Amino acid sequence: MRKTLLFALMAVSAGSASAQLPFLSKRGPVQPVVQGIDALRADFAAQSGGTTVYFGAETVGLAAPARTVLAAQAAWLRRHPEVVVRVEGYGDSDDTRDHALAVGARRAEEARSYLVLLGVPAAQLSTTTWGKERPGLGRSVTVLVRAS
Amino acid sequence: MKPIHLSFVLLGIATVSQAQQQPGTPVATVIAVPPLTSPDSGSKGNQMLATGWDATQLIVSDLRQTPELMPLSPNRDDYYSYPEVTAPTFSKWRSAGAKALLTGFVQGRSDGRLTVGCYVYDLDKGRELARKGFVVSPNDWRRAAHKCSGLAYQAVAGAPGVFDTRIAYVAENGVGDGRTRRIAIMDSDGYNHRYVTSGNAMVLTPRLSPKAAQVAYVSFADGDPQVRVLDIGSGQDRPLIANAAITFAPRYSPDGSKIAFSMMQGANSDIYVVGSGSGVPQRLTTSPGVDTDPSFSPDGSRIVFESDRGGSQQLYVMNADGSGERRISFGGGWYASPVWSPDGEWIAFTRRGQDGRRIGIVKTDGTGERMLTTGPGDEGPSWGASSREILFQRVGAGGRTGLYRVGLDGSPPRQITIPQDGSDPDWSGVMD
Repeated sequence: MRKTLLFALMAVSAGSASAQLPFLSKRGPVQPVVQGIDALRADFAAQSGGTTVYFGAETVGLAAPARTVLAAQAAWLRRHPEVVVRVEGYGDSDDTRDHALAVGARRAEEARSYLVLLGVPAAQLSTTTWGKERPGLGRSVTVLVRAS
Repeated sequence: MKPIHLSFVLLGIATVSQAQQQPGTPVATVIAVPPLTSPDSGSKGNQMLATGWDATQLIVSDLRQTPELMPLSPNRDDYYSYPEVTAPTFSKWRSAGAKALLTGFVQGRSDGRLTVGCYVYDLDKGRELARKGFVVSPNDWRRAAHKCSGLAYQAVAGAPGVFDTRIAYVAENGVGDGRTRRIAIMDSDGYNHRYVTSGNAMVLTPRLSPKAAQVAYVSFADGDPQVRVLDIGSGQDRPLIANAAITFAPRYSPDGSKIAFSMMQGANSDIYVVGSGSGVPQRLTTSPGVDTDPSFSPDGSRIVFESDRGGSQQLYVMNADGSGERRISFGGGWYASPVWSPDGEWIAFTRRGQDGRRIGIVKTDGTGERMLTTGPGDEGPSWGASSREILFQRVGAGGRTGLYRVGLDGSPPRQITIPQDGSDPDWSGVMD
């Protein structure tokens, strides 16, 4: 039901954009168009080259590919100052439970600090950790767009 | 439960000579456990004898789980009279091959409750080793029987038994993102199993207070992992620290008055201690990196914890005020989740290396390291009250998590029966 409604909203805004507001496709600095959270998330992922950055085993340092994605995320977040995100860190699945929680938190903090360094206001960012409790992702940080 | 002094000469607890074995000696002390008798007569007497028979079978089942005692199978025909509880026929049990004897009775009280009395004898010396009585409601006869098992175990093996204790763990149902996790609590023999959290929020690492009245655990209910404290009797549940950041790895002090835990400050995890009722957290470690999994020594004067300050996770011991930190693990690999044994002798840990995660023990000065399990998916050791058994979590083939117990005697781990998958077991001390 929610998905259907969202799809309808997107279809309406897309239709009206092509008919009357072609400048929207050029991504103006402020977009008054109301977007659902899922649409925001999709746009964030598409413009940033992904929501997730990966780490090496037992490391919390950001490698070059991770910095590239975070830089694109930072650019998007600066264009969307009204959007808040949660930086969620994950530990290594073969780690012990509590150390994995701490490592996830350190990775999240590493990514958050880099986003701040690239000019994202700290108020837009929060961090948390999932440790090894969602084993599908592992050794990563996911930046999740949240309903503000 | 209210323990009572039996109205006979109260002797101190001595130790059966046969129990003076070297660790690892596979000789168990044979103990005779004839059916508990009753001073009551008529239909009430029959009722008490029936309860006594149930209690006898439970005591035998308890003692059979231990490597130190070997109970003879009880025979209903071995009935003895009430006066014989304190004046047993030693020769009968000696000739049956037993070295120790447990007698006892169940008596109905005018208030509806039961008095259960237990006596332990050294058959070779023909003398009493220990006695204890308990007044319980009829529904609590199991606990009285567990107390009798504990009396026999203490008298023969020289350590508290694990029979009247509780186990808390994380019960896991479902798969993938639909997997729910609830804190479950049960008696150590699996009875009285119940769930104490709803399953709406992910939970981790329940840690029982020493007498199992409260459980501290980590909940994701507010988004971040945070330590909460649940009073099991009243159901009252509160955050350990109001408005805290990420907190985890709680552990009670042996007297239950304090809780040590980890708190994240940015990218740094340090160890703190706070009153288990309330109070201002006191920071104990300051090193950059991850300091976590604190566990008190039984006298409360020291804390063992893990830290990756040196580049890899290792075990450290410090004084309870945070002073005098020193590393005690040097065996290679990563060491994690240390827990101090109730007798103060050992520290159990999870070691991570090429062969996966395994459970081991080491003396508190870092010597005598010994691995108890083969892994590769073992973690989260928790000591039984006897200091001779450890409960832990094992991820088996196919990703199913289960609870296992392993003895220090070198016997292989045994899986514990629970209604679903389980992780993060924690074993309480002996209850009052």
